[in-house]
Amino acid sequence: MPPKQFFIDRYSKLGWTFTEVNLRQAIRINQTNAKGKNLPERLRSLGVELEKVPFLPAGYWVENSKVSVGATAEYLLGMYSIQEAAAQIPATLFTALSGKMVLDACAAPGGKTIQLADLMENSGVITALDTSKPRLGVMANHLERCHVSNTIVYNIDARQAGMLHRKFDRVLLDVPCSGNFSCDKEWFSRRTLADIERNAKAQRAILAEAAGCLASGGEIVYSTCSLEPEEDELNMDWAVKNLQLQIQKIDCLGEDGLTEVFGRKLEGQVAFSKRIWPGETQGFFVCKLKKEAEL
Amino acid sequence: MRPFEAFASRFGGKIVFNPEFIVEKNQRYYLLSPRLKRMHGNFYYAGLYLGKSKKGVFFPSFNLLDMLVDVAANKVVVDRKAAWLFICSRDVFGKGLVKILGSKRNGDATLVLNEFGECLGFGKITGDLGGSEEKVAVKNVLDVGDFLRRETKF
Repeated sequence: MPPKQFFIDRYSKLGWTFTEVNLRQAIRINQTNAKGKNLPERLRSLGVELEKVPFLPAGYWVENSKVSVGATAEYLLGMYSIQEAAAQIPATLFTALSGKMVLDACAAPGGKTIQLADLMENSGVITALDTSKPRLGVMANHLERCHVSNTIVYNIDARQAGMLHRKFDRVLLDVPCSGNFSCDKEWFSRRTLADIERNAKAQRAILAEAAGCLASGGEIVYSTCSLEPEEDELNMDWAVKNLQLQIQKIDCLGEDGLTEVFGRKLEGQVAFSKRIWPGETQGFFVCKLKKEAEL
Repeated sequence: MRPFEAFASRFGGKIVFNPEFIVEKNQRYYLLSPRLKRMHGNFYYAGLYLGKSKKGVFFPSFNLLDMLVDVAANKVVVDRKAAWLFICSRDVFGKGLVKILGSKRNGDATLVLNEFGECLGFGKITGDLGGSEEKVAVKNVLDVGDFLRRETKF
């Protein structure tokens, strides 16, 4: 069976009918830097037509633009970032970020780190980790562009976060994943189930390490841009069963997480996660987990 | 005087940081909050990046230039067209100047601001600041378009 058909059949078994998707470009206003600057109007005057993304607090679709939105003075001055709409969701799911100790465990190139810093108004501390030096270079560039001041970046693998000997109130795990076809035209010919299993295993190792660094009562937001349940619901089921984490209800775009995958029944609370099939946005999965406070 | 303070003085302004919260790593300077200072360790990037020294020359960050806006004496405000050309690494011509503050002396450093008072970078005053509209008034030294030009190096 051709690989594309193999995956399309899998998605069909999970309840989704495959459709091709054309992604819309989106931006996110950095509220801290754009305060009082009437940015949508400034961009309109440059010929950038925006439409508010209804499910995001600071997200806009770029409907049309006479200029490259990645080259305006407003972009270079850090007033907004270019960030796909679904990718803007995870950072918004934390409760009370201000002043917190936050870990962004797989951070580069830094889009979500900058979003976290913005939501925190540069208070507290974000510890950002990544293994790729070139991607860290890009991240440093973005941190400077957006005037982020509360972040400390280490060239460390997320699976070694414990070596920092810190406890975090909030942990963002936007883990490396297999991706999905909506952002990669060659996706079907590149990916195999073996890749997916390998990524899922690495993601569980990251989850376990993060759970160990999480303060009592702390929150983890786990996200992937993979549509494969091995990297999504099955990993959340594993986390609940092995890491003493509880899945929290979230209010965001997406369908309830699957609680039965290819005939296997999962913990009921996995339904609190959200699966976003490609369409309005790229494919995405997001879940919020909490470590109950110790008595 | 540390390199970033010496750099600030070139604009006729003074900027003072609490030395306790400045960290130097590989000749790069970072301003840390007290919480970041307590945990810094072997980081790749931290807090507000102020700039780097290389072979005796200081290269400021845009964070530092932004801080200078309020304290620097030497500033020029440019019109929309000149602002766009400036971030494309072009020089500022006399006809693009809207306002000149501080020094007009040849060779002095000046911040370049857009019509909203936002810092786009800095340049070196030429002999024609406030003179001919058709001549270069501020020679571009660094502009925010550098963020895009750097990306090709990663």
